[in-house]
Amino acid sequence: MTPTTDLADALLLRRMAAGDEDAFAEVYRQKHPAIYRFALHMTGNASVAEDVTQEVFMALIRDPKRFDPARGTLGGFLFGVARNHLRKRWEQDRRLVAFDGDPDELRGGGPAGRGVLSGNGNGSHGHPPLRSALPASPGWDEFASVEAIGRVRQAVSTLPENYREIVVLCELEEMSYEEAAAALGCPVGTVRSRLHRARAMLVEKLRETRAVRRIPA
Amino acid sequence: MDCAQFEEIVHDIERPGTEGFAQREPALAHAESCADCARLLTGLESLDTGLRAMAAAVAGWRAPGSVESALIAEFRRQKLASARWTLRRQIVALGAAAAAVLALGFSLHHYLAGRSSVGAPVANPSNTSARKTETINGAAGASQDSANVIDSDGAEYASFVPLPYADDPSALDDGTVVRVEMPRSALASFGLPVAAMESDGPVRADLIVSADGTPQAIRLVSQDASSQ
Repeated sequence: MTPTTDLADALLLRRMAAGDEDAFAEVYRQKHPAIYRFALHMTGNASVAEDVTQEVFMALIRDPKRFDPARGTLGGFLFGVARNHLRKRWEQDRRLVAFDGDPDELRGGGPAGRGVLSGNGNGSHGHPPLRSALPASPGWDEFASVEAIGRVRQAVSTLPENYREIVVLCELEEMSYEEAAAALGCPVGTVRSRLHRARAMLVEKLRETRAVRRIPA
Repeated sequence: MDCAQFEEIVHDIERPGTEGFAQREPALAHAESCADCARLLTGLESLDTGLRAMAAAVAGWRAPGSVESALIAEFRRQKLASARWTLRRQIVALGAAAAAVLALGFSLHHYLAGRSSVGAPVANPSNTSARKTETINGAAGASQDSANVIDSDGAEYASFVPLPYADDPSALDDGTVVRVEMPRSALASFGLPVAAMESDGPVRADLIVSADGTPQAIRLVSQDASSQ
């Protein structure tokens, strides 16, 4: 986030609060992908991610003054709202905790598979297949990469929530420690230490996965 | 750099603006000389590669258009509700303002009405003054035709007669009328014909007094009128 972005956000929000529909549409189009991805990574369920995204922006429509530019960026504020919604949902329904099984079980879409991210990264709402989204660099082992990404996703999805959200924000959404701290409402040092711990856990999980796959059937 | 320091900063060596990024070169140099740290570094590099690929793979994902449509509809609904609420507030504010004006007008009316009723006795002197002027005028005339003045409430007054030593003619216009009771014989001191009076009982008279308190004119008030 830059001061220019913050200023543009503030102007858009002011127009939006004055009833400018185009301004709201602009805010939504700019900010919703990150919120949606965050919710999707955190829940592993596209339907829930849609609901959370909708609730976040509903909250912004109903009370845009809740966002205080002095306390952080608009993006950080929206992530914070999304996180609160996710926590409420988890409290209401513990079944929505990130998928903890074998992604292969969900491939092909059973009753539980609707909208749940599968190991190959395909969602249920026409998201591009992971294969086509990968960079086409020379010598890229496409199949191996898809498999590797599936393993990373699986590892991320099995992290405890407070570690997973840090990984999503700092690694996948490329937030700085300060931005993540503002979004999560915790000190920068906590973000840093949690991220280090989460990364260490991920390395360990990926090692275990590789070790299991090396064992002949 | 030792292994503990390496582990402390290794997660940040690719993150600009951090201590780990600043220590990147020493950290890499340490990893070349330490098998365990090299293994950790390799694992983290592999993780970073996987995370970057994962981020790239999902970067284009968006919520379906139905979410935006629902939100736009909600935005319009809120805008309409807000406009209605604003209108309602304006109506209430206007109503309150109108009520305040009415209350103010009512209070003012009461105040003025109360003031006029309280002021009625105060108005008497002006009435008196009017009568006085009338009487004075009459007095001026009375000196010619000796006609008494009867005011609207039936009291009968003799005309004002300028006193012999009157030295302030303007007092006849703006002097103060003072009602006094005095022995009949005292009338002689004002130059009135006491001989015509049969008894020496008290009489009532109105005196026009100048600003310095000197009587300038006198008129007799009939007993009937004074008793009213």
